[in-house]
Amino acid sequence: MKAVEAANLTKVYGKVTRALDDVSFSVDEGEIFGLLGPNGAGKTTTIKIITTLIKPTSGTARVFDTDVLRYPQKVRQMMGYVPQAVSVDGDLTGYENLLIFSKLFYVEKKEREGRIAEALDFMELTGRADDLVKHYSGGMMRRLEIAQALVNRPKILFLDEPSIGLDPFSKNEVKNQVKELNKELNMTMIVTTHDMLEADEICDRVAIMNAGRIAVIDTPTRLKESVGGDIITAKVSRGAETVSLPGEVGRLLSYEGGEMRVLTENGEEKIPKMIDFLEAKGMVIDSISLAKPTLDDVFIKYAGSRVDQGRYVEARSERRNFARRGR
Amino acid sequence: MSLTRSISSVFTIAEMEARKIRHDSTELWMRSVQPALWLLIFGEVLNSVKVLAPAGYSYIQYIAPGVLAQSVLFVAIFYGITIVWERDVGLLTKLLSTPSPRSSIVVGKAMASAVRGVFQAAVIFVLSLLLGIQLRLDLPDVLGVFGIVVMLSICFSSFSMVLASFLKTRDRMMGIGQVLTMPLFFASSAIYPISLMPTWLKYIAYVNPLSYVVDALRSLLLTGDYSSVPLDMAALLVATVFFASLASVVVKRLVQ
Repeated sequence: MKAVEAANLTKVYGKVTRALDDVSFSVDEGEIFGLLGPNGAGKTTTIKIITTLIKPTSGTARVFDTDVLRYPQKVRQMMGYVPQAVSVDGDLTGYENLLIFSKLFYVEKKEREGRIAEALDFMELTGRADDLVKHYSGGMMRRLEIAQALVNRPKILFLDEPSIGLDPFSKNEVKNQVKELNKELNMTMIVTTHDMLEADEICDRVAIMNAGRIAVIDTPTRLKESVGGDIITAKVSRGAETVSLPGEVGRLLSYEGGEMRVLTENGEEKIPKMIDFLEAKGMVIDSISLAKPTLDDVFIKYAGSRVDQGRYVEARSERRNFARRGR
Repeated sequence: MSLTRSISSVFTIAEMEARKIRHDSTELWMRSVQPALWLLIFGEVLNSVKVLAPAGYSYIQYIAPGVLAQSVLFVAIFYGITIVWERDVGLLTKLLSTPSPRSSIVVGKAMASAVRGVFQAAVIFVLSLLLGIQLRLDLPDVLGVFGIVVMLSICFSSFSMVLASFLKTRDRMMGIGQVLTMPLFFASSAIYPISLMPTWLKYIAYVNPLSYVVDALRSLLLTGDYSSVPLDMAALLVATVFFASLASVVVKRLVQ
């Protein structure tokens, strides 16, 4: 059984705006699946359809074989959703936020306290459980948001831009906890992000979206391979005007003004060989650097434009305003 | 099964509000300043105008139920702002992503406004007693008053959520709230009898749920004459069911 099967999802707003255009994909049980793309690519719309929050104009989606249009409540009972914007109540304590949601998820009374304690413990918030959430840091709020979804023991967790607006330290923490959840509880996850690095680190497979369509779906490794190998750039100050490298080092792309660009694979291993070779030719190397392909390059190849950062700033200031309220 | 679940969700959302008030009730204390002024200043000054109150009652006695209704109304009519705020952050989306039915979230939010309304009403009640305003204080009457306060809150906060579903921003909700509160208040029997109004205003007063609320509150708190209470309650019930149902249907507009 697939965790999620989406077939030909299309969402049209008004008469012309195609937020989503014939999107199909499936997610295996236990997988971390990434939806990657710039703002307005249709990631959030896709998630909102699968989480039954909005209806597609056409197409179908099934979560663990349950149709999201016919049995939305059943789907909601087995999922957890962490929206992009702040979804905890700052005027309640961390514990109270979890208590309310465990009730709304209809967790049985005798199980409630255990699950809340477990969720707090997992997200490392036990010590701050009785503090008002408005005094939490952004990272703690995000962790509480995930904890809120965890009290339901969901089979599948949807995370919309989980690290948006967080500082690098909190970002890392959230990333690790997401990976841990997936590993320890075998929880299937769908994560949207426009952070290529993050997708590369946590996702088993990614779908690159642009303008409401999926451009490509594959593992991060294979996607990176598809854009070509590593590039070694060396600056040399003395030596021959022309040079030909042996095949085992790589292919010389250009050699102009003392700068040499070489296309190769496993660049880390080729650098020493290249240095040996060039020094044997009597050349002096001033600097050497290695560039490995990133999902950014993959993105540019498949979607044809760079991921813009505009919305990032916006969402971050929203989170700050939230934190500021009530102080 | 699903009904018990819905009811439990309604009370959970209301509990959320009660817990918030427990942490910080400043807003509600501030809000009770205005009704206090209505009683203390408006009530005291106009106490000397004999035509306003029915024979046997002082004017301040007459408006106490009106001011009570008004203060609860004000809390409820602005409740849509809270919903818009919760939409702007992700809280509403998250509430709607739980298995709790949409209608239970909406009615729960309306109940949450009722929690505030009851708090507010209790403050006005105590204040009226401190001012020495003569009110009937039999237990069934007092319970009836709080029952009406709950329904009034549900009615107008649902109305406010309907507006929020279409207006969608906090600024617009502030604006519409200001536009609505005074007409609702003045076109009702809250501070003067409907019989003194010009004809056109009478018609508005007759379709204004607040008139029926004030009438019922007066029966309970002043006259003890319950003859018109069934009609008042029926009118309030119709309005409440109408707005709560409408809000349950249109609230999804807020997350789209």
